[in-house]
Amino acid sequence: MKKLNRRQVVQGFSASALSPWLAGNSYAQSSDIVIGAAQPITGVFAFAGVAMNNGLNDFVQWKNSKGGVQGRKLRYVVEDSGFKVDQGVAVFKKIMASDKPNFFYCDGTPLVKAITRDAIASNHVMTSSTSLASVVADPVNVPQHFVPGATYGRLHEVLMEHIKSTWKGADKPRIAYVYAESEFGMDGIPAGKARAEKLGLPIVVEIVTKQSGIDVTTEVAKLRRARPNIVIFQGYISAPMPEFIRQMKEAGIDPDVYGTAWGLDKPAFDALAKLGESLTGVSLYATGDDTSAPMIKEIREYLSKNRPDLTHISPFYISTWFTGMVFAEIADRCLKARKPLDLPNMKAALESIQNWDTGGIIGLPVDYSKHEVLAGRLIKYNMDKKFMEPAGPWIKV
Amino acid sequence: MRTGVFYENFQSEEQLWNSPVKRFWMLAFICALLTLPFWGTQYILAMACIVGIHVIATLGLNLTTGNAGLISLSHGAFLGVGCYTVAYLGKLGVPFYVTIPVAGIFTAMLGVIVGLPSLKVKGIYLAIATLAAHFILSFVFREWTPVTGGVQGTTIPRANFFGYELMGDKDNFYLIYFLAIILGIAARNLGRTYIGRAFVAVRDRDISAEILGVNLLKTKLLAFATGAFYAGVAGGVLGYFYGAIVPDYFALTLSIFYLAAVIVGGLGSVLGSIFGALFMTFVPEALRLLSNASSHWFPNAAGLVLPMGQVVFGLLIIIFLVFEPHGLTANWRRVKRYFHLWPFKT
Amino acid sequence: MIEFVEYSLLGLLSGGVMALIALSFVLIYKGTGVVNFAVGEVMMLGAYLYYAAAVTFELPPVVAFLISLAVISILAMLVERTVLRPLSGQPAVAVMMATIGMSSIMHGTIETIWGGDTYQPPGLIPRTPLFLGEILIPGSVLGNFAIAGILIACFLAFFRYSKTGIALRATASDPVTAATLGININFATLLTWMLAGSVGTVAGVLIASSAGLAPSLSGAALGVFAAIILGGMDSVLGAIVASLFLGWLESISAGYLGGKSRDVIPYVVVLLILVVRPYGIFGTRTIERL
Repeated sequence: MKKLNRRQVVQGFSASALSPWLAGNSYAQSSDIVIGAAQPITGVFAFAGVAMNNGLNDFVQWKNSKGGVQGRKLRYVVEDSGFKVDQGVAVFKKIMASDKPNFFYCDGTPLVKAITRDAIASNHVMTSSTSLASVVADPVNVPQHFVPGATYGRLHEVLMEHIKSTWKGADKPRIAYVYAESEFGMDGIPAGKARAEKLGLPIVVEIVTKQSGIDVTTEVAKLRRARPNIVIFQGYISAPMPEFIRQMKEAGIDPDVYGTAWGLDKPAFDALAKLGESLTGVSLYATGDDTSAPMIKEIREYLSKNRPDLTHISPFYISTWFTGMVFAEIADRCLKARKPLDLPNMKAALESIQNWDTGGIIGLPVDYSKHEVLAGRLIKYNMDKKFMEPAGPWIKV
Repeated sequence: MRTGVFYENFQSEEQLWNSPVKRFWMLAFICALLTLPFWGTQYILAMACIVGIHVIATLGLNLTTGNAGLISLSHGAFLGVGCYTVAYLGKLGVPFYVTIPVAGIFTAMLGVIVGLPSLKVKGIYLAIATLAAHFILSFVFREWTPVTGGVQGTTIPRANFFGYELMGDKDNFYLIYFLAIILGIAARNLGRTYIGRAFVAVRDRDISAEILGVNLLKTKLLAFATGAFYAGVAGGVLGYFYGAIVPDYFALTLSIFYLAAVIVGGLGSVLGSIFGALFMTFVPEALRLLSNASSHWFPNAAGLVLPMGQVVFGLLIIIFLVFEPHGLTANWRRVKRYFHLWPFKT
Repeated sequence: MIEFVEYSLLGLLSGGVMALIALSFVLIYKGTGVVNFAVGEVMMLGAYLYYAAAVTFELPPVVAFLISLAVISILAMLVERTVLRPLSGQPAVAVMMATIGMSSIMHGTIETIWGGDTYQPPGLIPRTPLFLGEILIPGSVLGNFAIAGILIACFLAFFRYSKTGIALRATASDPVTAATLGININFATLLTWMLAGSVGTVAGVLIASSAGLAPSLSGAALGVFAAIILGGMDSVLGAIVASLFLGWLESISAGYLGGKSRDVIPYVVVLLILVVRPYGIFGTRTIERL
């Protein structure tokens, strides 16, 4: 071996330092089906973002282990969006440029709205998101997007129907709406109010709080004065619901507490359970403890092997797993019909999903012709078992 | 001092680029900038657009806070005003070459209103008055649903140049940098006029300035108005670039971001605004890339990026304040001086 | 009518805790002339330390509280030495930005260590509610006000009657003369920061007991700036009166206009008052010399 001079050593080092990057790129195969995502792994939504990321990632791994989609593997490319629109847009542009994904998962309604034009223009990407806003379940204006479940409006309608059918009392139930002044909090309230009016249910008070809800004493006083039988919370993950309930109990009022979708996760039902209150609410999916659903059993099996320390399966996890299922189903239908994965074909494939059996994640056969699922189920917290369990059948709206 | 550069009259001494070398380098820089879409990747193009928007906004804040010494915590809200104006007018079909100036002027008028307390208070009291303005404007963004779309935000229709739709990063890049270059030269120019000197006089000792005949109220209001104009224009192009916006974007953290950019870059200089904007945009990006790269060894690194980003942000501000109070421009000038005077010592 | 009385009472009582945060700010401004934008984060850090001591290390609540006070004092000392001493001659913007930088560092550190979840720290005071006819005052609100009231009374007495208090006031009004008279200015500044940190911690712990402990807690301090401007930045009495008034105002507006007006109404009022009394109701008008 001839003597290496210094320049050659430096060149050698630089080349070897570059190799991981070069090696990394060589994994990319053009036949992979790429799912890109901007997940809020850090930021205000981090607790949900981590679960969302895990859900989609685990689905991709699971599906690949079962042979992929028509023999083609799924590939998951994710970057952190911090739940900020500008960062999310940057992530979207980056992944679109480097990986040409077929599917993209956004972290919320603002990001969906921001990238819709570019997604449609690219003609090769379908999007979905945690957002259950009614405005994005719109096949005309947002054709590339679908909602992984029912929108907030539908959920509130389900809730009103449930209250009407289960209320046991001579007088009409006094319903109170407490929600946060945010997009998460306000969507769905108009639909709920409209349905309540149609069913003749009185809404005695409507209380709006700030998003962070730190000092709510006056709001609680207002709620207390209205003496409601039923309180529906919307837009909170945990605080300030416990404070509301605490003060109402101190005043001697004991209403039924309802919530929807993301407000029914562990932080909420644990905090309320400590106060002796059973949280009830409308859920989009079967809960992670509902082993009567075959797909939930699959998820639990996968988790026990790969994430043994994850004891609670949050609805965010199930949501992204389900989204992955829909992505895979769209790709599957396109490939079976030997059509390329471009926007018109994928949209048609999505809308052809009618009577789809999701393995129990959604208890009724799923119809995606309107880009959302029109079903929901009531779940209630069980004090002894310490988790949420079904409190009624699946309701179609 | 460059050799061979002799001034024969006052006009030539006040030139912005006073030697052929400077003019050449300026031209080369602008050419390189304008051809960036051709030699840069998609990612660099998008980042350049974002940097351009931040540069315009920082130029404005530097005029208000750096040159005139009036601390403004409402800059982020002004960007929002510009953005919503462009959105509203754009939906009515007004073309972009009208909406952007209108957004700037409307925001400048709002800036005058926000600056009115400066006739009674100064210093920190003024800063908190601007904070109040910020909260009021944020409230308006969230509540005035017919115009701003409320909490959900609004979309902005694409800019239309006589039928050619400005879609995609490349087109927006040219729009943004066209405005940035013009506004940057304007800011530089402002420094050598009466108004620019009045700003600096007000910052250093406003009582003395008043005695010398500078109309304090007019100057302070003009400082606010100019800064707000720049912010309005920046907000407008931000709207065209992103296409959809939510009121949460224009939070207090945005105002603090721009203040940090001004301080890191250097108070009172155009070069400082550019450096500051570049620096503040790239630090979170660099952190993100770092966390991506290190995610092989530390799988949980992603969860720490955002809060660590805040820590780094705070540390940077404090380090710059303690060790380099004149910002990055001082560093730049020091390096340039070293090369000019070589082999003599600085 | 009863409604109005109830909202007013609740507002006044909530204002008590706000007064603590305002006191923390005013102490620092009066003592060292520094505008501390990090009051919210200091408060939050104190609350988190209390939670860590009480729950993670499972110490009894009172001991945990004292430990968190001690740690905040040490941190205040560190900050004063490393950040504020080098910046003592700089313009107001610089020092203000330094405190903003500090608040960013604190916020980021808290999120890094404890994450974004909401915790429930153990309460320090019992929660029995008070019934005045139809009006219900929740126990936590009453207890918070009581503690805040006692603490503020102690501070007012301290500044008026104790030797150290007078020394602090002397340093605040004219450091050079105070040094000439033999007062140790460095120690006085240090003590001011430590006291301000402790007051903030108390406020943080009180708020966190009812609202839960999350990184968004520092947002509670933003309303305090309005109170400070209203009362005058260098007046302790002004801060207290203004906080009570703004607490009342926020409560009334939340009750009649809805919770979303809570942020805005105080600032609108403050702007209006600035037109008439620019230095706040109790603030001293500084005379500028050339």
